[in-house]
Amino acid sequence: MSTDVLKRLGLFVGFILAQVVVLGRIHLLGIATPLFYVYFVSLFPRNYPKWGVLLWSFFLGLFIDIFTNTPGLASTALTLLAFVQPPFFELFVPRDSVDDLKPSLHSIGVLKYSYYITFLVFIYCVVFFSLEMFSFSNWLHWLMCVVGSTLITLALIFTFEIARNQH
Amino acid sequence: MKNLLEFLQKYYHWFLFLVLETLSLVLLVRNNNLQNSVWFSSANAVVGKVYEWSSAVTAFFSLNKNNEDLMLRNYYLERQLTQLRRLYAEATEHADPAQQQGLDSLGSYQLVPAKVISSELHHANNLMTIDKGKADGVEEGMGVVCGKGIVGVTYLTSDHYAVVIPVLNSNSSRISCAIRGHQYFGVLRWYGKDATHAYVEDIPRHARFKRGEWVETNGYSSIFPAGVLVGQIVEVYNSRDGLSYRLKVRLSTDFGNLRDVMVITDRSIADRVRLMQAAKDSLRLNVEE
Repeated sequence: MSTDVLKRLGLFVGFILAQVVVLGRIHLLGIATPLFYVYFVSLFPRNYPKWGVLLWSFFLGLFIDIFTNTPGLASTALTLLAFVQPPFFELFVPRDSVDDLKPSLHSIGVLKYSYYITFLVFIYCVVFFSLEMFSFSNWLHWLMCVVGSTLITLALIFTFEIARNQH
Repeated sequence: MKNLLEFLQKYYHWFLFLVLETLSLVLLVRNNNLQNSVWFSSANAVVGKVYEWSSAVTAFFSLNKNNEDLMLRNYYLERQLTQLRRLYAEATEHADPAQQQGLDSLGSYQLVPAKVISSELHHANNLMTIDKGKADGVEEGMGVVCGKGIVGVTYLTSDHYAVVIPVLNSNSSRISCAIRGHQYFGVLRWYGKDATHAYVEDIPRHARFKRGEWVETNGYSSIFPAGVLVGQIVEVYNSRDGLSYRLKVRLSTDFGNLRDVMVITDRSIADRVRLMQAAKDSLRLNVEE
């Protein structure tokens, strides 16, 4: 198997373990949950085969769901995100860049990367919490969960990205 | 075919996305109770509506056959009616037209004519005595009607006399009655003082009716068949807890002048109700097993 697949497999397992063992148990103020595994979907480089993105994300969501006992919740949201990620990343890529550009603070600049990752995490949180609550009767709580989780997830992701780019 | 394959090849990731997303949604709905119940309730509503329409269409096509069956039944019933009318005219001396009409509706039931030999009107719990008893086939728990409407239920019987609890008794068995022409039904109660009016309670708040409409028994009890007149709606009130309507009904039976009554000795109503109850009990036992 290619090194890319193995590397991604390692990331896959790492994200799942981190979420399930540590991060999934954090519920700040009862509304904000870090959903760090979304970062996995944002890491796919430009021109990575779309079926690959979809399948990786689907299985990531599936395994997260198995651990949190909510079949179908994360996998629906992550598959949607995986569908959106390749064309969306294209929007931020300057025309003359490398064919397999990886999304990071370093590669496309801080501002563009911020837009990119914020959008992805926000979309994921909206879909995730809408499916989880499945009703908009308590829309204030829904809104707080979405915004809170987005912020805390972004905080984690940015920390990670900055730490990565220090190397 | 080639174009189809090309199309599939070009957009394969759309299809993969749809497949994976559908799979996830199926997992979501099947395995999570909240989503499951929301899905099922709305799906059931949609399915129910569709089936309603389709059954309305199929029912339309069987209207002809239903018409023929009804005509045949009508014919047999009318024949029975003329026979009974003749029998009844022989059994009683006079034939008051209003009474005639009231008793016509009881055509197919076994009736025992009786005379009221004592009655009270002005107590809180009134009782009535009739001059037929066990020797004539009258037993406890049978319905008593007169030509103009409902009278009450037999309570105690001896060989030749029976005591009847009329409607004018606050302990009277709560007779189930319905507004003629609608299915809305309630319970008949009497609270004393006024011997000409009683109350029908627990009419649902979504019921649509007018003052002046007739109230009659709806056949849900084992004592009275459907269609026995009770009275006319005079006034509509809200029930004490506000959850249903309370109708003030002017009783069609004139208890002050009551003389001739009929006891419904037909046990077929009771049999039907007993059979239904037995069926329900056996089904319940089967489910519990």
